[in-house]
Amino acid sequence: MESGDLFFNLCGTLRLLCGTLCNNRITINLQLILTKKYIILFKAVKFGFTYYRKAILFITAIILSGISFCQNEKLSEIIINIAEDMASEESDPEAASLFIEQLQELADNPVRINSDDETEISRLFFLSDFQIKALANHVRSSGKIVSVYELAGIPGFDRQSAELVIPFISLEARTFSISDSIRIRNTLLSNLIFKPGEKDTASPGSPLKILTKYRFLAGHLEGGFTFEKDPGETFFTGSPPLPDFLSAHLAWSAKGIIRKIIVGDFAARFGQGTNINTGIRTAISLTAPGYMPGRDEIKAYTSTDENNYFRGAAAEFAFRKIGLLLFWSQNKIDAAIGSVSDTSMFFIENLYLSGLHNTSSSMLKRDALTENTYGMNFTCNFSSVKAGLSLSENRFSLPFNSEKENPEKLFDFEGTRNRIVSAYYNSLINRILLYGEFSMNFPRNFALIQGITLRPSDRLSINFLYRNYTPGFTTFHGNGPGSGSSTSNEQGLLGNFTFEAARHFFISAGCDISKHPWLRYRSSFPSLGKKEEIRLRYLPSEKITFDLSYYFRYSMYNNVETTGIAGVEENRSRTIKVQIKYSPNESLSAATRIDHKVAEPSGSKGTLLSQDLIWRCRQVPVTLWFRYCIFSTRDWDSRLYTYENDLLYSFSIPALSGEGSRSYAMLKWEVGDYAELRVKYSITSLIENVNDFQDRDEVKMQFRVWF
Amino acid sequence: MSSLLKISVSILLLFLSVTASGNPYRFSAGAAEAGMGSFCITGNGFWSSFRNQALLGFNNSFSAGANYENRFGISELGTRTAGMIIAADRTSLGIVYSHFGYPDFRREMGGISCGMALSDKISAGVQIDYFSEKTSGEYDNNRILTYEAGLLIIPSEKIRVGIHIFNPVPNSLRKSSLPSTLRAGAGIELSKVLYAGAEAEMSSGEKLILRTGFEYEAFKKFWLRGGFSSENTSFTFGTGYLFKSIKLDLSFATHERLGVTSSVSLIFKIH
Repeated sequence: MESGDLFFNLCGTLRLLCGTLCNNRITINLQLILTKKYIILFKAVKFGFTYYRKAILFITAIILSGISFCQNEKLSEIIINIAEDMASEESDPEAASLFIEQLQELADNPVRINSDDETEISRLFFLSDFQIKALANHVRSSGKIVSVYELAGIPGFDRQSAELVIPFISLEARTFSISDSIRIRNTLLSNLIFKPGEKDTASPGSPLKILTKYRFLAGHLEGGFTFEKDPGETFFTGSPPLPDFLSAHLAWSAKGIIRKIIVGDFAARFGQGTNINTGIRTAISLTAPGYMPGRDEIKAYTSTDENNYFRGAAAEFAFRKIGLLLFWSQNKIDAAIGSVSDTSMFFIENLYLSGLHNTSSSMLKRDALTENTYGMNFTCNFSSVKAGLSLSENRFSLPFNSEKENPEKLFDFEGTRNRIVSAYYNSLINRILLYGEFSMNFPRNFALIQGITLRPSDRLSINFLYRNYTPGFTTFHGNGPGSGSSTSNEQGLLGNFTFEAARHFFISAGCDISKHPWLRYRSSFPSLGKKEEIRLRYLPSEKITFDLSYYFRYSMYNNVETTGIAGVEENRSRTIKVQIKYSPNESLSAATRIDHKVAEPSGSKGTLLSQDLIWRCRQVPVTLWFRYCIFSTRDWDSRLYTYENDLLYSFSIPALSGEGSRSYAMLKWEVGDYAELRVKYSITSLIENVNDFQDRDEVKMQFRVWF
Repeated sequence: MSSLLKISVSILLLFLSVTASGNPYRFSAGAAEAGMGSFCITGNGFWSSFRNQALLGFNNSFSAGANYENRFGISELGTRTAGMIIAADRTSLGIVYSHFGYPDFRREMGGISCGMALSDKISAGVQIDYFSEKTSGEYDNNRILTYEAGLLIIPSEKIRVGIHIFNPVPNSLRKSSLPSTLRAGAGIELSKVLYAGAEAEMSSGEKLILRTGFEYEAFKKFWLRGGFSSENTSFTFGTGYLFKSIKLDLSFATHERLGVTSSVSLIFKIH
């Protein structure tokens, strides 16, 4: 096939897709036809990329850059920095993915800020309680917000925090009518990701990553399903054959005593999250303008973490100032199973959390353990104090058996049952917000959180948070504020402030000191950690912004070079980031960024220079993202992380190490109000030696349709 | 023995040329730009248009120029450059030729560029480059064809932002180890007679280079320039004078170890 024919075939297939959608005759049968065309499209593009991929990318990028103009589709720099910071945390590799996924859920289902409903507004999980209340009060007292530019004028908000929420809000008010309950609104999304030319013969399945999400909304009722196949996994497994990960839910919500009922897969969070929190933890950033409040919620599960969710039923009740959440779940989760020698007794060696089932050993771990969880959360709202009480219990089909001879695992959970009781409160007195939580599982293991937020003026916000998690405290679905993935074995104090020092000029800084009283992964001794951040932001106009941030990280790990008893290696890294964003008009924005990192004790240095462009074509609904980045790091210690725009429900924050370049181009095509197509091509070119070059590329495609 | 000496000298000179520039394949900035620390991503100068082709989009005069750079006072490291800009409304074409070296090692570059003003605030340009590198003895001669592209954005009346990429080609499409380079910078008109700016440059496998410079019109048609480049901690200064339609520029750049590089440039503004 000639490359020209390939292009014509692609264009024809795209035209067919568009024509089909624009005719507005979408039925279940047509979905099947669409799926077939979709597969043809993917195969064609994959073929093209296999043989002509680089040439196609660069010719396309040049042609598009010639015909396109620009747009204003961008995330706040603060969010990007938080995501990059989380991606760099070795102790909690899933946190960044969870954070981005929650943001994408918000982008996909924006918060209706004109609904004056604090629960709805609190879905903006990065806002502080002050901001949530101020926003709801503003809508109640001044009427609907008609422009996002009004946000910066609301008490508690400034231009920086307004910028933060803009991508995730809608100015429509939520109103239910009879026609709404009759009309069904469906959304279907499908992602396909592959690495051209990469073949993995060791895995049982294809190297494609496939994700499909379907969601419907009909008045008070909503439902949907998610299925996912990771690279190397077979598409259908088990009996009956089902996708490797399949999740479904049905939820009903209203404003009466029964607020919400969910059947199927759901997520939950109570208070500060030391007992139950299947989502992102609080206090994720040292210098974010708001502070993440604790809150109580159950919601349908639409994420792709294959283990940290509930499967069963949950209900939310509210009567005047009293709230009650109840849930029950029975879920099969992944675990490594061992047996006691010379007996038929089995036990759990450890939980397997990656969700990958592409090798024989990982397939053995799939759904090896049954977990029963039930719990309740009771809250009472007084005039200035909200208090809550939570109880949860996990029961496992097999006992946990920790290796007591390994000192690191001395406090690990054992047995089949784990029960946690928690009490929490938050109190808003004038400009002071106090909040705390105490959780306990038996015997004598506890998690304690106490925080305070001060807002002496609208231009200054100060936060302090103390936490103390004993080494034996175990929570399987909790996620409290802290420096690692586990809400255990940590004492810490965090403090930060955000200050509008002058008009359009913001200073924020924070420090988090954590102490791990017992041994942990890669630290065979009680250890310390420290994080410091300083950020300066100058936003002189809508068209140009300046960001300067400094990060310091300190951690203690085993010195692998010593023999016998591990020595202490103190790792320090200092990073400076400078970013300038500019936009001459509404359809073009550009960003230039420089990062420089120094890692000790190796003395390794890393630098990158990156340039982003976003164009939105005025003539056709097409948006193009383009990045070119050159990086140079001496080794892995000085690696640098850069957030990339990506498909919905997919994220990319690559760790750039070595010498080379990283670039990507992404195209979004909105087909009326019915569909959207995104295609992303990314490539990392590495220079290993003078004559040793390597390319690693990836193609991502997404198709979304509304009907 | 003689050929061994030639080869040794060639390697030494090649090293010196690499030492003096982030990407040795980029031809030297003109004398006016060299006087400003080689800050040339947003400037209006003749030679800047060949370092960021987007500048051609706002260049509306037909002109031609020649430049000579005498690196460290060593004639073998001299670079001779000639160029011409043909302006046509919102689009301009440029032609440039550069010669570096001496008979036993020489690097020549020819380029054809085009810049276009896409709107009052945005301009874009592209240049096709052909490099020829010849070394005496048994060494291979290199011929490389590549491209570079630039963008100029004017977010406000007095601020200009420039972006430029050179040879952004993936490894699998490369036939040589020609480095890729990314540059970005901004310039600001502080007053009618003072223009200043800064830019960052990074080439694959090299350190980040920061440059900053200013141009001050001390008297009518007489300019003073100064600048700094983090590459080899180089301070620069220069001067320029416009006599009718001929502009003469001179510049001097220090090197922390190797001495001074001087440049002279003549530009003829035809209409």
